[in-house]
Amino acid sequence: VAEADIISTVEFNYSGDLLATGDKGGRVVIFQREQENKSRPHSRGEYNVYSTFQSHEPEFDYLKSLEIEEKINKIRWLPQQNAAHFLLSTNDKTIKLWKISERDKRAEGYNLKDEDGRLRDPFRITALRVPILKPMDLMVEASPRRIFANAHTYHINSISVNSDHETYLSADDLRINLWHLEITDRSFNIVDMKPANMEELAEVITAAEFHPHQCNVLVYSSSKGTVRLCDMRSSALCDRHSKFFEEPEDPSSRSFFSEIISSISDVKFSHSGRYMMTRDYLSVKVWDLNMESRPVETHQVHEYLRSKLCSLYENDCIFDKFECCWNGSDSAIMTGSYNNFFRMFDRNARRDVTLEASRENSKPRASLKPRKVCTGGKRKKDEISVDSLDFNKKILHTAWHPLENIIAVAATNNLYIFQDKVN
Amino acid sequence: MEFKLEAHRIVSISLGKIYNSRVQRGGIKLHKNLLVSLVLRSARQVYLSDPCPGLYLAGPAGTPAPPPQQPGEPAAGPPAGWGEPPPPAARAAWPEPERPAVPDAPWVGGAEPTATVTGAADAPQGRAADAAEAAWGRVEGPREAAARGAGSPAGGSDAFPEAPQAARRPCACPSGGEDRRGAAAASPGADRRCAPPPSADESPAPPAVCPRKRGAAGVGGGPAGCPAPGSTPLKKPRRNLEEQPGREEDDGAEEMETGNVANLISIFGSSFSGLLRKSSGGGREEEEGEESGPEAAEPGQICCDKPVLRDMNPWSTAIVAF
Repeated sequence: VAEADIISTVEFNYSGDLLATGDKGGRVVIFQREQENKSRPHSRGEYNVYSTFQSHEPEFDYLKSLEIEEKINKIRWLPQQNAAHFLLSTNDKTIKLWKISERDKRAEGYNLKDEDGRLRDPFRITALRVPILKPMDLMVEASPRRIFANAHTYHINSISVNSDHETYLSADDLRINLWHLEITDRSFNIVDMKPANMEELAEVITAAEFHPHQCNVLVYSSSKGTVRLCDMRSSALCDRHSKFFEEPEDPSSRSFFSEIISSISDVKFSHSGRYMMTRDYLSVKVWDLNMESRPVETHQVHEYLRSKLCSLYENDCIFDKFECCWNGSDSAIMTGSYNNFFRMFDRNARRDVTLEASRENSKPRASLKPRKVCTGGKRKKDEISVDSLDFNKKILHTAWHPLENIIAVAATNNLYIFQDKVN
Repeated sequence: MEFKLEAHRIVSISLGKIYNSRVQRGGIKLHKNLLVSLVLRSARQVYLSDPCPGLYLAGPAGTPAPPPQQPGEPAAGPPAGWGEPPPPAARAAWPEPERPAVPDAPWVGGAEPTATVTGAADAPQGRAADAAEAAWGRVEGPREAAARGAGSPAGGSDAFPEAPQAARRPCACPSGGEDRRGAAAASPGADRRCAPPPSADESPAPPAVCPRKRGAAGVGGGPAGCPAPGSTPLKKPRRNLEEQPGREEDDGAEEMETGNVANLISIFGSSFSGLLRKSSGGGREEEEGEESGPEAAEPGQICCDKPVLRDMNPWSTAIVAF
């Protein structure tokens, strides 16, 4: 598998009609959902490639002799305001605002130039005509409209568009900056976790997000397993949090790797804005924003890995950053695992399921079969033992359609799209 | 006992990760290295606190610069003693893998004057912090640049004496220049660092000397030394240079060990500075050790005479692995 093809981010837009993926090679591929079509009834819901463009290129910081990877870390869509679509894409250092627009008409019948573009001699023009628009093959153009650069010393891990639709935040390991979408030459630093003496560094920022409705509220998670909620109204620099979410560590489960597995890899608000979800290495936790002392739900993603932490440390898998997502109604959450497995938790029914994203196991229109990992003892038929899990097949990025039960799952360089069977 | 072995293994693995992180694309990942350093510290604590009389506690002192220094750490206790020599296999293995490892490292003809500061050095901001950060990166930078510049592994150690020596001087200097950009406190130390050692003729010696110099100075000029005024960083490299002539003549194999330990140590900061000191520096080291962190106190106590360094075999096995 070519490393450049590995998908590094997946994101539906606000309507769910567009699905954007970014890869390690710096490319963005946008899929569009097919419209309902009577002649092809089954094609409703299929996503086909809509646009592909190179968002970021590898760069070299000559001052620091550092190569800047072109890998797309995050894509976030802007709410649609006109016919064009806008998204933000970011690599480690630079955020870009892209405009994706369609062109399906072409003007013909110009006065001053020929159909092939050559200029006509003005003295030969004897009559004037009005150009008319003629249909042409659909062309989707992506153009960079803004480049937000040079504001991050460390690696950007998150971007989040504010509910005011005018500002957005970008977070790196130690700082969070606030931008205005129209202004590229400056940003405000609103969170700074860099200690005066780097020797004392104990904690880094791992993810950040704006509240879906309250434009003054944001949260950011840390490598120590804590989440801080900040209110931008209280002060210009949000170094002092308004709320601090941390679950006390269970002393009985302490190991060499306790700190690593408690590091939060993703934080997501629920659509309602009442809850948020955090993902650490072995679990997902749902928090009520009104209760800081502990989560209201904890779901084990792959607890069978707890005894394998040393091997996972050796092969670097313990540093994998899994993302998580809510469904549109906040009744279910989803996150990825290894062996191309991903997990879904139904919060109301208190059920969870493990599914696999692989070609062999998913024929088009066939239902996914639940999978099970055998943790010890006798392995039943169809179960997989922990030792036969393929740790190179990891699902780090998943996305859920904002309105319907359609999910997008990125398995290395493949994108799987599953949806609920509609009769 | 199993905990100690496990801890040792984890320390080795962690060191390898930090070592490899220098050459990863995209620069040093702060988050991952922070986590690795936390694991390293946990493993070290277990290693030191697990009492095993009669065994070598070769004080891994595996605490890198980033984690906060805990006042309680000196209580982790002076090791039981530097008792028996390690298993002969480990020791015999030491010089061999060391050879191929060293050519891969920058000592061979690495004359690239690129001043590299890998990692997230933060130029416009607070200088003390930047010096610490830059030290992290700075130490690794020239090495990395030199590694890139290194041609073939010099066909064995024969080519060592001349080429690396000549190459090393330009190699070292640009890092000094880089330091000046990064941090005022470190630059005097960097100047001293740039001065080639008085005697560096033996083939294993040049590689060893270079990193050790840089290590100590990086140590002094780096995390621990930077917040303080320059006095501490300045003294360390000077003393190191004085000690070198005597030391090099002693034992080639030993030089290589300490040299490589110095590389890794410099990554972790001042905590290890005691390991590099000889008897003359022992007492002195202790008082400076307090500045650089409680961990330094332990090595200072241990390293009171030469034979001690010879017995740092858990380290050697860790290093051999890379």
